[in-house]
Amino acid sequence: MDPVTNRPGRLLIHLALILFAVYSVVPFLWTALQSIKKLRDASSRTPKFLFTPTLENYEELWLRSTPDNPESLAFFLLLAFLLLICLLIFAQHIPLRRDLVYGAAILGLVVLLWLIPQLLDTASFYDYFINTLIVTTGTIVVSIGIGCLAGYGLARYAGMLGVIVLIAALAFRALPRLAYVLPYYWIGSALNLIDSHILVIITLVAVNQPFTIWMLRSFFMEIPKDLEESAMVDGAGRLVAFLRVIIPVMWPGIVATALFTLLLAYNEFLLVRILTQTNWTLPVAISRFTGGEDPRHLTLAAAASVSATIPIVIVILFFQKQLVKGLAAGAVKG
Amino acid sequence: MERRVFLGFAGPSIVVMTLLMVLPLAMAIWLGMHFITFDNVLEPQWVGLRNFAAALGDQRFWQSFGFTALYIGVVVPSWIVIGFVVAVLLDQVTGFARGLYLSIFLLRFIIVPIVGTIMFRQLFEPSGLLRWLYQELLNERFRYTEQTVKSLILFHGIWYVTPFTLVVYFAGLQTLPQDLIEAAGIDGASRLQKIRHIVIPHVRSLTLFILLFSIMDSYRVFDSVFVLTGLNPLYKANTIMTYTYQTATQLERLGRANAMAVLTIIGIMVVLIPNLYLSWKEQIAER
Repeated sequence: MDPVTNRPGRLLIHLALILFAVYSVVPFLWTALQSIKKLRDASSRTPKFLFTPTLENYEELWLRSTPDNPESLAFFLLLAFLLLICLLIFAQHIPLRRDLVYGAAILGLVVLLWLIPQLLDTASFYDYFINTLIVTTGTIVVSIGIGCLAGYGLARYAGMLGVIVLIAALAFRALPRLAYVLPYYWIGSALNLIDSHILVIITLVAVNQPFTIWMLRSFFMEIPKDLEESAMVDGAGRLVAFLRVIIPVMWPGIVATALFTLLLAYNEFLLVRILTQTNWTLPVAISRFTGGEDPRHLTLAAAASVSATIPIVIVILFFQKQLVKGLAAGAVKG
Repeated sequence: MERRVFLGFAGPSIVVMTLLMVLPLAMAIWLGMHFITFDNVLEPQWVGLRNFAAALGDQRFWQSFGFTALYIGVVVPSWIVIGFVVAVLLDQVTGFARGLYLSIFLLRFIIVPIVGTIMFRQLFEPSGLLRWLYQELLNERFRYTEQTVKSLILFHGIWYVTPFTLVVYFAGLQTLPQDLIEAAGIDGASRLQKIRHIVIPHVRSLTLFILLFSIMDSYRVFDSVFVLTGLNPLYKANTIMTYTYQTATQLERLGRANAMAVLTIIGIMVVLIPNLYLSWKEQIAER
């Protein structure tokens, strides 16, 4: 539309948008504020805006006991973490083979995550965090792996069978989750897999597969056919042409799809709640803080909510473009 | 691409979907015909169609269905209206401000739904910001009652998903035919007339898409209701998903819950079938 040019009009537009922004973020800001209050301040009769901030809620959430020298440990861990993140960001500018740099940074992160419970007396919330990382990573790898193959096949195959698969996938995506999650419980019990990561990962892959293949297919459709055909003329098989020629061009689409898979796996509550007993992921662990009699749950829930949000916000800061692109691309809501 | 090659590529995915979606669905029907509690999960007892009959005769099942319908009826139109209005406003802003607003609006979309609901709920906990405002403005204690809890669920529903419709409409506005707008401007059309006669018809197919997906998604609302009610039956605010879940986990009637899950599928067919039909036509045309 043609832009509004008069001054009062523009002012009104910004005012409305700012109001909507406030409406969007008030719960986040309020929860963040509650999470750094002492319980006494957080549950006072009227909302408190002036208080002495404290990290005791986070400490109680993540640690079983206070370490002897918390400042230096926190400083060391934060420094190591920041260094690894910088390595990931600036990998392109380092004059080494890029996959080597990425590999080293990821290995460093894994070592760091393993090192933390050795240095600190971590509470169970840390275990839930690790569970979430394992489940999310596993789901992304398996889901994108088989999804790329299928998405490519569906983009290039013109037969009726392809349409049937696509429509069936759409139908299954829309079904109420419980219609297959309850049978998963039965399958898991029969195979003695309840509470295992593998069951959660493979079922998460399955429930997200319809969405994954639709989205990847739409990205593969944008790639011209001549690309792999010329490679195949040179004597490469279709699979080789796919891996060597198509996948490198597809990276942006793969990253966008992986991002959505990450959100879906990281956010999943119902399925994990039913298929695990103690090996919870963060959403299930956090839901334990609602209701209940323990008054400390008020501030612990706030600290847990902020803790679970920070990793996602960091990831999205890096990939906001892909997120918006994927959202706008169409049928993409989990 | 030949069919054999296609099956080679799509095979793993099709196998996973068949084993873990088609098969479980058939199993849900089969399990729905058994009496199962957590004690006899692996030795279910055959009861035929009794679970289905019991679910259909269960007043609370219909109550939860009614609340789900109310939820859809309130929340989906709000998403569409708010999403459209904010998208039009956002379209007026350019450059850095646009990106900033968009990031802020999208925050709700990326948050873990359970966490988003807990954050929302924090506003209404003792000493919560909105609880305090409620008490100051209405001069009345805020209490969790059937009415307030139901309103909170609806209010949260509107708050939570608006970014999705907003982004889809916003993307749609970027493809608006500029020549039509200019021609209308020359003919002296006012801004509202342009929106009414050009913009709204332009996003009509998007609206249909949003409508179908939003109805299907809000039909299976679970996480927020779980957090806001704590599954307390006092509030009579169960949706079909939470009631089915409750039947499975708290009442330990796994067979009955499976039967209910199968029955809820029939409810979704009303929007699912038109949706599938549209996609089918589109795919056939694209071939």
